[in-house]
Amino acid sequence: MRICFSLFCFILFVSGCSSQDPDNEKFEVVYTIEDIEMEEAEKNETQQLTIAIVPKQINIPYFNAVKEGALEAGEDLGVNVIYTGPTFTDASQQILIIKDLIKQHVDVIAISANDPEKLAPILLEAKDKGIKVITWDADTIPEARDFFINMVDPETLGRHLMDILAWNTDEEGEFAILTGPLSAANLNEWLHWIKVQQEEYYPNMKLVDTVAHDDDPHRAYVLAKELLIAHPNLKGIIGNSSEGPPAAAQAVKEAQKEGEVAVVGLSPPNQMNEFLKDGSAQVVTLWSPKKLGYLTVALAKNALNHIEPYDHQEIAGVGKIRVKSDMVIMGEPIDFTKENVDQYDF
Amino acid sequence: MTFNWLNFRNYRLRTKLIVTYVLLTVIPMSLLGYIAYSQYTKSIEEQVGEYIPKLLEQANENIANQVSEISHLPDLLYNSSQVVGVLRKDAHQNRSSLLQDEFTINSYLSRTYINGGNPDILGVFVVSKNRVYESVKVPYRNFDLSNYSIPYGQNIELQGTEGMYILPKQTTLQFDGNPPFILLMKQLTDLENRTNLGTILIAVEVTFLKDVITKLTDKGEANLWLMDQHGHIIYHTDKNLIGTIDDDFINYPIQKGSFRTTTEKSNKLISIHSIEETGWTLVHSIEAKNLTERTDLVRNATIIAFLGFVVVSTVISILLAWNVSSPLNRLIKLMKRVEQGNFNVDLSIETKDEVGMLANSFNSMVMEIKDLIRDKYQIELKQKEAELYALQSQINPHFMYNTLETIAMAVEDDEKETVVQMVTLLGRMLRFSISNRETLVSISEELMQTVDYLTIQKIRFEDKIDFVVHEEIDARKYYTPKFILQPIVENAVKYGYVYGRITTIEITISIIENPDTRVEEVVFLIKDNGPGIKEEVLDNIQVLLESDPMGKRDSSFGLINVHARITMSFGNGFGLRVSSFPGQGTEVEIRIPALDAGNEGENNELEKN
Repeated sequence: MRICFSLFCFILFVSGCSSQDPDNEKFEVVYTIEDIEMEEAEKNETQQLTIAIVPKQINIPYFNAVKEGALEAGEDLGVNVIYTGPTFTDASQQILIIKDLIKQHVDVIAISANDPEKLAPILLEAKDKGIKVITWDADTIPEARDFFINMVDPETLGRHLMDILAWNTDEEGEFAILTGPLSAANLNEWLHWIKVQQEEYYPNMKLVDTVAHDDDPHRAYVLAKELLIAHPNLKGIIGNSSEGPPAAAQAVKEAQKEGEVAVVGLSPPNQMNEFLKDGSAQVVTLWSPKKLGYLTVALAKNALNHIEPYDHQEIAGVGKIRVKSDMVIMGEPIDFTKENVDQYDF
Repeated sequence: MTFNWLNFRNYRLRTKLIVTYVLLTVIPMSLLGYIAYSQYTKSIEEQVGEYIPKLLEQANENIANQVSEISHLPDLLYNSSQVVGVLRKDAHQNRSSLLQDEFTINSYLSRTYINGGNPDILGVFVVSKNRVYESVKVPYRNFDLSNYSIPYGQNIELQGTEGMYILPKQTTLQFDGNPPFILLMKQLTDLENRTNLGTILIAVEVTFLKDVITKLTDKGEANLWLMDQHGHIIYHTDKNLIGTIDDDFINYPIQKGSFRTTTEKSNKLISIHSIEETGWTLVHSIEAKNLTERTDLVRNATIIAFLGFVVVSTVISILLAWNVSSPLNRLIKLMKRVEQGNFNVDLSIETKDEVGMLANSFNSMVMEIKDLIRDKYQIELKQKEAELYALQSQINPHFMYNTLETIAMAVEDDEKETVVQMVTLLGRMLRFSISNRETLVSISEELMQTVDYLTIQKIRFEDKIDFVVHEEIDARKYYTPKFILQPIVENAVKYGYVYGRITTIEITISIIENPDTRVEEVVFLIKDNGPGIKEEVLDNIQVLLESDPMGKRDSSFGLINVHARITMSFGNGFGLRVSSFPGQGTEVEIRIPALDAGNEGENNELEKN
């Protein structure tokens, strides 16, 4: 009987081992997968991130469209976006603005650089302070930033600009290029590829002049008029900066040379709508600056979360991006003609 | 408990041994088996509990990949600038161009989605600025724009640019055949203009989930289901549960891993994995008994082996207990026989163990006792024989003296004849008493002795004593112990004689059959007509008669002497009975077994024992 009793006790003890679980009565955890990444991601989301977007200059339609996109992204992604830039394309003003942003302890500075060399020291200083620096639209020297967000592949764009001019001039005759600030790296690269394309495929065409207008609409207009006067046989003008084509179209229109002098280039559709429709400009090509703004903010946020951009990455609200070494390419340029220009609003 | 324990202590040794052996083997073995089995099944559960979440993780990633593929389906729309162009237009156009637009988009939807790569797409709907474009694989009904839990349509502002999923049964939309589907609803954003183009809804049959999930339930024992972050079941291996809500979902203790139910009747092992990409949770639930199915063979084999072992060990324990207890039982039986007086016992046990030693001790003890008893018995017997001889050879010296006195007086009176008669009688008596040492004599001889005595007394008392002998048997044929009749008669003369009147002694010898034992008995009846015996003296005599015959051997009572000898020789059923009535005389009855010539030898032998 004593044996029975001790046996009973022992069984109680044994069965007691498995049934003790004061925390959760209904379920007994057998195995748990540790999950650390989730916590980290959550931690980062709780902080309010501030991303500063610095354009080459404010108050031109192109950069206004960028601002719209950037702010939209800020709202979508839950980050604070500061959009600030110089009133005209000037590197020293941008330096001052960046100094101010460093004082504000922003998390990211995304800049469209007016001068790749001059801006480098201040951007390096910002990097030293732990601020992420990326560039968009116009690059600096590679050391001064993490990566560069390019709208389109410069080679593709340069060659395409040359192509659309050629289509509208029957691949022959003189043409001129109306470019923005000479210091802007992106414009110079496009310029290079325009020339390469012309030399490769269009031997009957001749680049007669290249003038820079520093993205000042009025100066561009003046320069365009001078071009028309200086080169009476001019068959076409390429504006490789957003203020170029409208100025050129305006000048052509005023000179009543619609159709005689083809105007192509890079410019937002809204600015060119009228000119495209009345025939003073034939084709302009561009990307969506809104999309660019959106992408810049999205990639800036990703960079803060240690997600570096990679080739074929899917960015919500933008689509797939391409990456070539440390350069992000947003997509392909869009051609605007009088048929489709109404579809676009920037 | 104490009471029971005491009870147990009183159980038979064999029972105790068997119980102890059985407990000693069965308990440790069953405990060992139980612990081993439970640990084994537990470790299986743990292994499975660790293994399945990993499977689930893969499956979930697979699902997430497919879902992400699905979530990219709306982007196909952007590939067509024509379609995007139509969507960018507003609805205020003439009918023909509206219809043209509809044709454009519907045919693009059919091309891209319905006839495209993904066979699971049931239908695509694009809602844009009060226009609805659609392309479906199977007919549908109840596509009611206003009836969704969240407002949508041209004014929809979905948070972020991710699509959202309308899960099975959350929409009234139904396709023919009622296939379960998820409805991906995604805002169409004009990427260039950053404006809202409308909403695309893609109904995707959950076949892709089925493919992934069915792979995990190879035997169909497990239940698998996929649910969203609110416990809404998107897919379930039990089709009826698709679209319902798992009530336990909020109670699940972990998001990734395995746990066991403890409250339900049959324990289930639930493995769970939730993935961030979709926010969906894949659950695998299997009854524990299914997991341990394969171990059941092991368990059954173990149980059979265990039972076999128990039987064997029980048999062994019974044999062992039997081995110990059966000699003891034999010992007990033999002891009982010894107790009853039978010393001819032998506990033959060959073994050399304690039991064997006990048996040897017992045997030697019994032998010793037997010897002791025999020695004592024989001594006693010899003593008794000596006493008997002494008793039977007693001739009262008074009688001798009186007789010789009477003879002397007769000589004085010169009664020659009388003297001769008396001397002859006395001589015959003396010869009878000393001549042979046989204990048994024929009744006629015994009677003659008595008659001789009475004759002498009669002469002595000058006919004041008379006697009659009724001899109803052939006295020569039957035998009797010596000296049983004469002492009684002597007694009757002694106490029956009353001065002044004639005392008559009547001797009757008869043979009767004892009604109880059916044995013939010889009865001597000696009656006198004396004064009888006083009641208290009679009682005293009765007491003496009933007491140990050997006790009062020095008693002067011839009665006791005779009685003692008869009972000693023949047993208690025989002996003397005295009855007396004051004033009427005394009657003494002597009862002995009928000993005829045929069984005289036998009785002699009996007497010698």
